[in-house]
Amino acid sequence: MIVAAAIALIQLESLKTGKPSVIAIAVSSVAIFAQDASALIGETVRGGAASLANAPRLAGQNAALREKNRALRAENARLREALEESPDARAIAALAAQLGSGTVATVVGYDPENVSRTVTIDRGSVAGVKLDDGVIDDDGVVGRVVNVEPLSSTVLLVTDGASKLPAVVQRGRWWGIATGTSSAIRLEYVSQDAKLRLGDAVVTGEGRSFHAGFEIGVVTRIDHPEGALYQTAVVTPSVAFGRLAHVVVLAR
Amino acid sequence: MGRSPADVARTRALWTANKPGETAAPAYVPDPPAWWQAGLALAAALLVQTSLAAHLQFRGATISFVTLIVAWYAVRTGSLRGLTFGLIAGACEDALAGSTGAAWTFATGLVGLACGRFCGTWFADTRLALIPGAAVATFLRYCAFAVAMQLEGRPIPLPLAHLHAAFWQSALDALVAFAVLQTIPRLGGSRAHRR
Repeated sequence: MIVAAAIALIQLESLKTGKPSVIAIAVSSVAIFAQDASALIGETVRGGAASLANAPRLAGQNAALREKNRALRAENARLREALEESPDARAIAALAAQLGSGTVATVVGYDPENVSRTVTIDRGSVAGVKLDDGVIDDDGVVGRVVNVEPLSSTVLLVTDGASKLPAVVQRGRWWGIATGTSSAIRLEYVSQDAKLRLGDAVVTGEGRSFHAGFEIGVVTRIDHPEGALYQTAVVTPSVAFGRLAHVVVLAR
Repeated sequence: MGRSPADVARTRALWTANKPGETAAPAYVPDPPAWWQAGLALAAALLVQTSLAAHLQFRGATISFVTLIVAWYAVRTGSLRGLTFGLIAGACEDALAGSTGAAWTFATGLVGLACGRFCGTWFADTRLALIPGAAVATFLRYCAFAVAMQLEGRPIPLPLAHLHAAFWQSALDALVAFAVLQTIPRLGGSRAHRR
């Protein structure tokens, strides 16, 4: 009874102060190591699966070498595997260097109940991550930081229903609000006189989490109802959220 | 799962505690799992859910192993332990979700309390009751979560989509409960201790 009451009171106190509870800090600090290990295993498995998928192509390319020299074939396969893995890491490192103050982080977990579109990254307040920092990867906008623990942070993906970002259609500079719809993004409150076209690139506007110009996605559907004050567009995100691995946290 | 001498003694005490003249066994005798088993199961469930939730979606829903474990523990131990275990499990989920405040804490605690409360009544009749019970527990937990989020001042966006996913999650949890009880029947409690 005392334990139950203590847990309830600690959580209520955390709600009241708006700061992470002792339980949350302890659990997330311990869990981050298990999640890190789990993410590493997952990445290895994915890398292995990608290698398997590419095996026929690689086998075709290496047929001549295989006949000539078994050792050369093994080395060639190893080098190709390295090539398959490295572009993502290289691109992220280059992006971080280009941005100067970015913090490179690895995605180690997801929302346990999948109620919200969030991911956990392995960098927290110790690494300088702050609330509302923007998060990108080499394809574009991922989301913004909504919770910071000492060793980890939670990122609300741009596709979550609670995510709202100021956005601009690059061609024409028409403003709107990019709102998540769970699987895509809806660009709302776009002026009726905006001449939107399918394929238009949508980028971030200057806002709390992002500076202007980071790619959000491309317009794939336009709703232009007669008599409405605004038009809306469906935007397909440029980031593949299903295979997020490395991201860069932008300092504000 | 072997039963400790203390458990056996308690079971005997409960049998002899029937009212004078009663000869039947009590409807339900608590048969609690060891705390470390429940803790280990919870840790594994949390790790699986945080690592794979996004990859194991079915119509926007994922299996909630945490709910199943809390319900299982509560049914085997009673309402107070169920409440405590539910609060702990929910606090862990809130910590890992990061943006839910204390909503999962109270929702999961409520489910633990409810499952524990019913463990001596209709839950005790048959193991088959555990399967729809898992679905009801999952849906109850989601409803309590939605209410808690509303009270915390952060209503769930896209509530209809989430409600739809909650129905599917309930169905998935019932399916998993069925599969587990078919595979490992003793997880539903010892048959010898059910009337």
